[in-house]
Amino acid sequence: MVLKVSDVSAFYGKKQILKDISFPEIPQGSLVGLLGPNASGKSTLMRCISGEKKCQGTIEFKGQNINETSQKLWYDVVATMPQTPPSPTALTPTELMWSTARSLALPLSDKDLARKIETIFDNLGLRSFELSPLQSLSGGKRQLVGLALALIRDPELLLLDEPTAALDLQWRMIVLDWVKKRVEETQTIAVAALHDLDMAARFCNILVLINEGEIVAVGPPEEVLTTGNIAHVYHVETELGLSQRGNLQIDVIGPIASRG
Amino acid sequence: MELISPLIIMNNTSSLYVNFLRLNGRRYLILAGLSIALLASLWLDLIAGPAGLSAGQILSGLLDPETLELRYRIILWDVRLPDALIALAVGGALGLSGIETQTVLDNPLASPFTLGISSAAVLGASFAIIVEPVIPFVPSYAILPTLALCGALASSAIVLVVVRVSKGSRGMVVLFGIAMFFLCDALASGFHLIADADAAQQIVFWAIGNLTKAGWLEVTIVSLCLLLIFPFSMRQVWVLTLLRGGEDHARSTGVNIAGLRTWVIVRASILAAFAVCFVGTIGFVGLVGPHIARMLLGEDHRTLLPGSILCGALILSLASALSKTLIPGVIVPVGILTAVVGVPMFLSLLFKKKGQF
Ligand SMILES: Nc1ncnc2c1ncn2[C@@H]1O[C@H](COP(=O)(O)OP(=O)(O)OP(=O)(O)O)[C@@H](O)[C@H]1O
Ligand SMILES: [Mg+2]
Repeated sequence: MVLKVSDVSAFYGKKQILKDISFPEIPQGSLVGLLGPNASGKSTLMRCISGEKKCQGTIEFKGQNINETSQKLWYDVVATMPQTPPSPTALTPTELMWSTARSLALPLSDKDLARKIETIFDNLGLRSFELSPLQSLSGGKRQLVGLALALIRDPELLLLDEPTAALDLQWRMIVLDWVKKRVEETQTIAVAALHDLDMAARFCNILVLINEGEIVAVGPPEEVLTTGNIAHVYHVETELGLSQRGNLQIDVIGPIASRG
Repeated sequence: MELISPLIIMNNTSSLYVNFLRLNGRRYLILAGLSIALLASLWLDLIAGPAGLSAGQILSGLLDPETLELRYRIILWDVRLPDALIALAVGGALGLSGIETQTVLDNPLASPFTLGISSAAVLGASFAIIVEPVIPFVPSYAILPTLALCGALASSAIVLVVVRVSKGSRGMVVLFGIAMFFLCDALASGFHLIADADAAQQIVFWAIGNLTKAGWLEVTIVSLCLLLIFPFSMRQVWVLTLLRGGEDHARSTGVNIAGLRTWVIVRASILAAFAVCFVGTIGFVGLVGPHIARMLLGEDHRTLLPGSILCGALILSLASALSKTLIPGVIVPVGILTAVVGVPMFLSLLFKKKGQF
């Protein structure tokens, strides 16, 4: 048993954003895709799991309840990549990684920390930008810096809020493929909010589809991504097929005229 | 097999580490350069003045006061030295206060003065000059700085309440600070209306800011304030640096942003309040000192905080030297000259960096 989310409700002011979100226990080694239209509550759910936002219900990771664990301990194992990439200031990626590691008090010597940052940057293709101001980086590269920041503490639960939104075709593949491999090798868990259904189907073991703060479907991609569910949630008509290689392909025909 | 050749160690050391060390080394060199410039400007400030003391006399008088005539000894030790040192202390305090406010409010225009602290100090000072109140246990010469300090601290306290109530929303804090600024300004103008010409001039003179009224006590108080607060600032350099990567990132790293804002504004307000209560509103230093430091040193607060202190002190010290030499026999209020010194420094860097900072 590793990640458990049951009956989670969250509010902004009086407005209820999440309504009794529950899904089956997520085993270790899974990459979970969190799907849903804009404003459906994906980021909010991420913030609840990461501990940034107070919520009702139970969130447990490796038998530890979020409410009974100190913030320090929780942040040691759970890392989030927020939806907004790091701000475009004169700060450099290395400085940002360094200060993040140091304020988390990671027990690493300067040399080891440098080596670790170097490895992460190598994997994400950021080495040539290591000392360039963030404001001079393109939007996609800054998003990769955001991912690098979440990876610095070797999290056991990695929460990625739209990690590939600004990435090109190549990096979208590389990042998701790499996260999947990492999760399998280290037997940890990653949850990624995604808008790209093809990619989600291809890389995730489990998909969670939410709409207006409620669970619509949970399960393996082929069970969740049905024309019915997609029509219900995204209000578009689709045709599903398999590519020659056996990957799910979603052909969007058009919007469904009568909404709601 | 325990023998590892230096070559392998070289290979094991990541090139990122080497580059990062080199960058930091360069920044420490810049800090050293700024310190040397600061010593030079302190020296210029000490030898500037109408009394006709030669540089040699000043040097020997500093090393051994007994070598100077009593008259000169008093000029050096009781006039020039405290004036020159208060420039460093006030400039440094405003520099630190400014950089921390800018970072924590993520606003390049933020400074202790956009929080309304200076105008509240002017309000307190105006009250002291016009009403001439008597406060028990406070000697009459200390009433003006005391009231200016009270004004500044009171306005900071109100800003802090706003930080807490708005849960640390930076937009609210900046807007409220500006509202405070206009309120205090309006009230102070009310005092100016009822003031006679003499008092009005006194207020204007105070509000411009000048260093010549400071003695050793003031130097000690402002320096102590800076020395006591600086270690607390340095303990938060990592969090301040990572905050430059954005609020969302900081929050996802577990930083309590409202708490951080509260602490930084407490520190910055105390520094600014003590800095301005003796010498008047030398506002510009707290805005431009940090920017110059940022352009020279980048965003790593390990070097940026000390750099900002040095830049603030340097601007004010140069302005102080200039204030005594610009028009022979006249001391131009230093508040006028900080802008005159600071703007060219700022612009030259800005053009060199082509607006990228
Ligand atoms: N700080 C906030 N204050 C008030 N309401 C908020 C806040 N953040 C989000 N909400 C509301 O919560 C709801 C869910 O937002 P959330 O950001 O979780 O959506 P999302 O699924 O991540 O959408 P997107 O795909 O656009 O990122 C929205 O209706 C939004 O307006
Ligand atoms: Mg979102």
